[in-house]
Amino acid sequence: MTAGVSSMTERRKFGPVSQRLLDDLRAIVGVDRVSTSDTDRVIYSVDSFWLPQMWHDRGVRTPTPDVIVHPGSTEEIAAILTLANRDRVPVVPWGGGSGTQGGALPIHGGILLDVKRLNRILAIDETSLTLRAQAGVNGGQLEWALNERGLTLPHYPASANGATLGGYLAPRGSGTISTKYGKAEDLVMSLEVVLANGTILRTPDVPNHASGPDFMRLFLGSEGTLGVITEATMRIARLPETRLFRALLFKDVATGLEAGRRLMVQRLDPLVIRMYDPHSTASLVKKVLGYELDGAYMILGFDGWADIASRQETRALAICAELGARDLGREPGERWWNHRYDFYYPPFGFHLPAMYGTVETVATFSGIERIYHAKKAAIEGTFGSIGVQYIGHFSHWFPWGASLYDRFVLQDVPRDPGEAQALHDRIWDVAVRTSLAHGGMINEHHGVGLKLHRFMRAQYGAAWPLLQSLKRALDPNGIMNPGKVGFEVDDL
Amino acid sequence: MSKEPVSAHAATPDPSASVTGTDPVEATPIEATESCRYCWMCRHVCPVGHVTQRETLTPHGWALMIASVKRGTLQWNAETAAALYACADCGLCRAHCVTDQPLPEAIVSARAGVAAAGIAPPEAYALHESLRAWGSRYGARDRRVPQAQGDVGIFVSDTALHAAPHALDAARRLLDTVGVRAVPVAFGRSNGHVASALGFPDTAAALVRAVLDDVDAAGCRTLLVLGAEDQYAFERLYRERLYHERLGLDWPADVAIVSVSTVLADAHANGRLAFHRLDEPPPYAYHDPCHAPRIAWNAAAPRALLRAVLGADPVELFWRGSRAHPCGAIGGLEVTQPLMAARLAEARLADAAASGARWLIADDPGCLQNLTRHRADGVEVRGFYELLAERLAS
Repeated sequence: MTAGVSSMTERRKFGPVSQRLLDDLRAIVGVDRVSTSDTDRVIYSVDSFWLPQMWHDRGVRTPTPDVIVHPGSTEEIAAILTLANRDRVPVVPWGGGSGTQGGALPIHGGILLDVKRLNRILAIDETSLTLRAQAGVNGGQLEWALNERGLTLPHYPASANGATLGGYLAPRGSGTISTKYGKAEDLVMSLEVVLANGTILRTPDVPNHASGPDFMRLFLGSEGTLGVITEATMRIARLPETRLFRALLFKDVATGLEAGRRLMVQRLDPLVIRMYDPHSTASLVKKVLGYELDGAYMILGFDGWADIASRQETRALAICAELGARDLGREPGERWWNHRYDFYYPPFGFHLPAMYGTVETVATFSGIERIYHAKKAAIEGTFGSIGVQYIGHFSHWFPWGASLYDRFVLQDVPRDPGEAQALHDRIWDVAVRTSLAHGGMINEHHGVGLKLHRFMRAQYGAAWPLLQSLKRALDPNGIMNPGKVGFEVDDL
Repeated sequence: MSKEPVSAHAATPDPSASVTGTDPVEATPIEATESCRYCWMCRHVCPVGHVTQRETLTPHGWALMIASVKRGTLQWNAETAAALYACADCGLCRAHCVTDQPLPEAIVSARAGVAAAGIAPPEAYALHESLRAWGSRYGARDRRVPQAQGDVGIFVSDTALHAAPHALDAARRLLDTVGVRAVPVAFGRSNGHVASALGFPDTAAALVRAVLDDVDAAGCRTLLVLGAEDQYAFERLYRERLYHERLGLDWPADVAIVSVSTVLADAHANGRLAFHRLDEPPPYAYHDPCHAPRIAWNAAAPRALLRAVLGADPVELFWRGSRAHPCGAIGGLEVTQPLMAARLAEARLADAAASGARWLIADDPGCLQNLTRHRADGVEVRGFYELLAERLAS
């Protein structure tokens, strides 16, 4: 199966959205919260994945949902899933629609479940520093609400203004300060999930126990294929006394990676290490921040108590100096922080008619540099002659390794959408298979969705049947976001 | 060296830091949909998106809809037109866009095409006809008197005259008290925003010409405004929407636009205006008026005056200041989409209730009228100018 549109339109196992089902849905959520309008169906047929955007840009519709439903509670979602399971109709959860992997695309039609009405903050525990909220709450609004109390959910993805809390968790997202505070999956304490048969599950209130397997983790990364996340309890933090930023310039990726490795293995607890490769430094950093530099541009950040953050920064700068880094000072670091999301506003972000994709990966320190060079060589070697460019930065760091947020971009795209899609898929094949061949994962934080669906068996090998059996147990009719995250409709 | 306050996400973008400003003359507004159709960066501030939670009724949704019509995957019809007219034209999306994409202008441009094709909502045509025929959305010709002259004028819009005449009277009494003799300007005329928002640029241009003629005849060098809509119209609407296509309409550079509350706050600070402080007032909030986030609305002035009258700081709404949501009395929404306008007003009142306010105080005449219609349990809507006038020290 490819990520393509044509292969997405077959409806093999699924029942139709009948008038009876529509009536039943209206009885659950109300007449004005069930839409079969052509306008809504088209708007909900595109998310942040390049592929459907390209088809729409060329005047071709991609598969639409049959009906969009706007539930307002967990119980309503349970009732909707019970009906969908009865009639074997696909259900595709939709939060903000800002995912880049096509995870929210209704490729088999059916019910599109927009969860944004589940947008309440249910509880803030300032003693334990936890937050319980419904899954549809908007990330930007949630952060404003926490900031009013001097608190923060330390998950700052670029998509926060459009994304939802459930959308943070379902694809296991990372944010700008994940290096210190962890990914979304590290911040979650417990979940409420609705299964395909309408069962409402609540995981234990605390995540760190020894009471058997941690089944909460099953739903992190499942992207709606195993259940619908409806609530979450998250760890939050107090806004820090200070945040310090600084920019440095390394002569190349290798020395910058070594500096980052030393900071992480020496447990200096940086808030941010973000290193742009020389190509990104010369292009994106110049375009958005206005600095013309030759080398690998790194942002280094620390937060917390002012005296401690300052000491951490001093030690980090000494490590960087040992490796020959040029200290560019505080202003460019702060400028990056203040403008870190500008990269994603038009026209700074990549946009049509160009073809682009983030082929990110993650690996240990032993392998990450090798992967970077291998992918650069593979993509530019295979597709450089037609103008494909490869850029990357290293943005999410762990005590054992780092993520490579690398991207390809092509300005001169075939006019025929089928040809454009085929080329797109070939570039992805080369990129992902190169990551896998060198010890990387197929991704680090954007999720799998439709885009990486076809690589899941290669990723997991002999372990894949285990995931398939779990899918069958939880969703025997295969109605939950079918055709995503590696779960083939035919497997069921 | 700039330093962001220690907070989580980027603060409201500073328009002066905008990297790619939009030339108001050269831009073709509807092209903004090409940039905005796949961008979600302003979703969190859209009030209509917030009260409906429908993807179609968000900046991204409107942009994608317009772009889809352009490509033939959607058509303009009653269904798409209704969605297009659900946008409040509040400008929050643009105010929060670091690259200043003129999406509100694009939506209004698309509405102009829809309106010309005869498929806009029927209520839009009815409202337009009133504006076209009478120069006022209230459908009555106001007694025209020769435009008086003076250094200072006060813009008396159709809304101020018909929806909140008590607010206008109170504001003029306050101005008299501090020795500002403001002559009424453009008595009962629309400022042009509603016609523009509905997609009738020719009518908007005609209304603007009439206002500009009255301003010219008045000879004033300062024009006072009661609320943010008038200030938005004069400072930005004429230049950004009506300059290029509509025969060079722009606000005269030598006429300053100043809010009445700014004048009053200055007078109070200088000891020329005093109030009898109210004993034990209830918790209150100030409603940052519709359009305030898209202009440099002086929201400190009304807060300072209310502090002087009520002796306490206001409680603040969640949707305030640079992210203040409109109350629904905006762009003719209360006529073309009354249910949407009601939901926005109810959301505003619910925000006040959740913030602990018992009074929600509004200065803009349109906001005052609309919020009063939707009074909520436990929250009383009060007129800002009336409250100040009631507490004037003799």
